[in-house]
Amino acid sequence: MDSPRSNSHTVAELHHKQPAFRGLEAGHLACSGCGQALGARLVTEAIGPDVIIANATGCLEVFTSAWPRSSWRVPWIHSLFENAPAVASGIEAALKAQGRATKVVALGGDGGTFDIGLQSLSGMLERNHNVLYICFDNEAYMNTGVHRSSSTPHAAMTMTSPSGKMRMGKRHLKKDLLAIIGAHQIPYAATATVAYPSDLRAKVRRGIEIEGAAFLLVHSPCPLGWGHDGALSIEVARLAVETGIFPILEMERGNVVTAMKIRDVRPVVDYLRPQERFHHLFDDSPEARDELEHLQQLADHNIERYRLTASQPEAHDSEGVDTVGRGGMRWS
Amino acid sequence: MPTLTRGSFAHGATSLSLKTGDWRLQRPQHRHKAAPCATECPAGENPQAYIAKVAEDDLRGAWETLVAANPLPAITGRVCHHPCERGCNRGSFDQPIAIHNLERFLGDRAIDERWNYPINTPSPDAPQVAVVGAGPAGLSAAYHLIRRGFWVTLFDAEPEPGGLLRSALPPYRLPREVLNREVERLLAVGIVFKPTHRIGRDISIDELRADFPGVFLAPGTSRAREWTIDGVVPSDLRTGLDLLREWNSIGALPEYNRVAIIGGGNTAIDLARVMRFMGVEEVHLITFQRLPGPGVRPKDAMSATPREIAQALEEGVKIHEARGVRRLIMRGDTVVGVEVVHMKELDHHGRREPVAFEGTETILKVDQVIPAIGQQLDAATFGRALTLPGVFVGGDARMAGGTVSGAIGDGRRAAIAIQNYLEGLPEDVAVPLRSIAFNELNVNYFEHAPRVQAPLLAVEQRCADAEIEGALSQGTIVGEARRCFSCGKCMSCDNCWTLCPDNSVLKTERTEDGWQYVFDYDHCKGCGICAHECPVGFIDMVNEP
Repeated sequence: MDSPRSNSHTVAELHHKQPAFRGLEAGHLACSGCGQALGARLVTEAIGPDVIIANATGCLEVFTSAWPRSSWRVPWIHSLFENAPAVASGIEAALKAQGRATKVVALGGDGGTFDIGLQSLSGMLERNHNVLYICFDNEAYMNTGVHRSSSTPHAAMTMTSPSGKMRMGKRHLKKDLLAIIGAHQIPYAATATVAYPSDLRAKVRRGIEIEGAAFLLVHSPCPLGWGHDGALSIEVARLAVETGIFPILEMERGNVVTAMKIRDVRPVVDYLRPQERFHHLFDDSPEARDELEHLQQLADHNIERYRLTASQPEAHDSEGVDTVGRGGMRWS
Repeated sequence: MPTLTRGSFAHGATSLSLKTGDWRLQRPQHRHKAAPCATECPAGENPQAYIAKVAEDDLRGAWETLVAANPLPAITGRVCHHPCERGCNRGSFDQPIAIHNLERFLGDRAIDERWNYPINTPSPDAPQVAVVGAGPAGLSAAYHLIRRGFWVTLFDAEPEPGGLLRSALPPYRLPREVLNREVERLLAVGIVFKPTHRIGRDISIDELRADFPGVFLAPGTSRAREWTIDGVVPSDLRTGLDLLREWNSIGALPEYNRVAIIGGGNTAIDLARVMRFMGVEEVHLITFQRLPGPGVRPKDAMSATPREIAQALEEGVKIHEARGVRRLIMRGDTVVGVEVVHMKELDHHGRREPVAFEGTETILKVDQVIPAIGQQLDAATFGRALTLPGVFVGGDARMAGGTVSGAIGDGRRAAIAIQNYLEGLPEDVAVPLRSIAFNELNVNYFEHAPRVQAPLLAVEQRCADAEIEGALSQGTIVGEARRCFSCGKCMSCDNCWTLCPDNSVLKTERTEDGWQYVFDYDHCKGCGICAHECPVGFIDMVNEP
């Protein structure tokens, strides 16, 4: 079998010959199968090289910048857990003063966004800085050792929300961050997932092009923290959408304007079963059965609330949006 | 304005110097697998390879890929029972690709556009091979021998080439114009055709061996298999193939009102339909096999093409499935009826045998019974030849499955064997690629799409001479080709390249067969996302050595 003619370039050279710009290079220290590493690479690919990134503390910051090396091919700054939006606001103001059109993007995890940086994020949105804030949502503080955040879903097990006699994992619900973002009346906010790269890319571009603050929540599976095989990261992210657990939405000035339809709604157990963090829900006990049903009801509630079902298949529903074809149709 | 380079990072500090590849326990590996359409094809075609070219609008390239295995696509696209479509993985998703329509389209297009077969003329001093029998096996062998650089002389007992294609296939399945044009074009590649040369009458096998270092015998099966029931044979008994041949050459049949045809193969079905077209009132077809359908195992089903069976039923042929003829009811030495009994094939000590069940008999009034249960080799002429050095046998004479496509495949294999024999090469022992199963694909990335439907003549318009299945337009054909899953073969969809978290799938120049990614094993951590998300199952995860 012929192998592709890479004889004109070595593999090392090929890294610099890729047909799309890739702002996050190989050699980073993310775990095998990391959803966030993929998400960050897809995001930089969509933005292009003319950007300055402010990164909150978190996995992404740690695994891309182990001294003395950097995986970033774009200007990138890390300051603290809580102030990435403030740093981004300052960069944006400075660029504006200089009359430059370079884009500003702030990146954070769910810990830095839902919890620690929420105040500065709120300030950035309220002042409507021309910044795209992207939160990679892996639903816990993975970097510190899988500790619960306000984004951790109900009943998920983490080091600080263990399952046992008293509790079935996290007692509280996942924070509805999008509603909080929506309350700021910013021009554009959306959710996306690494399972649907074309949809993610389109939303990043939209967020970048829009004048004013934009927010994007990207569902990013964490094989280590969620306890699934690294090969299943995309599969698990896809199931989160297909079960209604993670709705894919677009919001303008606080109103949900589009919701990705689910063509074939799957039962929530399909999403939960591959993940160790929900393992205890499959115990043979009344508490486990109750919580399993609770999660199903939460998913059903999302489906009702955002009207995620449709009478007919659509090109951009949960099945159609990831259709591929011969010769890289996905990106054409 | 400062300009930013594509890689605006400081080279000395890039993380590329960190080789995360040593974290890996398993590595992804590109491994082509055979598509089931290819492993199922008796003619040795790889439909997936030419469908890929059709999908890219390269019709001529597709035809050249196709005729590398089968030189008669306009014919097989019409008459083959297309096991490729039964194997097609898309059948487990929605409906199989209409491979026979694609094949026929390419064959027709090549005839219309006069595309030349991709063949180099053999050198003037190249060895000579004799091929006996200008049916599908002989034509295929002759073509593949020429392609391999041998001169070929093709002998046939009949005045025109085609063998069974001409004598047994009714024109509503294979229009004579298509047959003539395709076979003429094939012979024109440099095959010397000697018609009306019957072996044993006009020329002997020993004479052939003296003149040709290699001989391929594909004479077909001209003798009807013996058929009696309890020793009773009607005086005017004719076999199904015999009647079909007679009708194909003179266009007439003996006068019947009600007939019972025995057999479940294509000959039985063809004859039954011809009889209906010729106005026979009641045509009964009696077979111990079952009508194909859901829940019927392929080995229990009638061997005739399901499409032909369905059309025969539309045309009023009465098929008695799982039945056998127990007794002929005779008046003198002519038939007036048959006793039909329930029958089923059962395992008898490892052999499957039809068993009749007592007490289930019924009487069917017919004026003739016609066995269509197969033919055998004329052993008197050919029996001795089968063991001579330099003499090879193929096609129906070798019982190679009794299909046109099987015979074409046999001809190709014979050509390879003859080449190996004449050039003193060892026998071919290439291990075939593993066929890929439906559950090895990731069908999340495919959309449902209905299969094309070729236009069919309405039942009341059908006659023996008009082709029943119509042609499709180029747009429809290309659209159909784009439904192909490309099982086991890279289709450059960019999925692995898009979804690698470690930027370790790199795109490079595309190869001939559409593959254009390499793995960066210095950085790949072996997560397996690329393998899991590959729609076509082209990537395997293998343990690190």
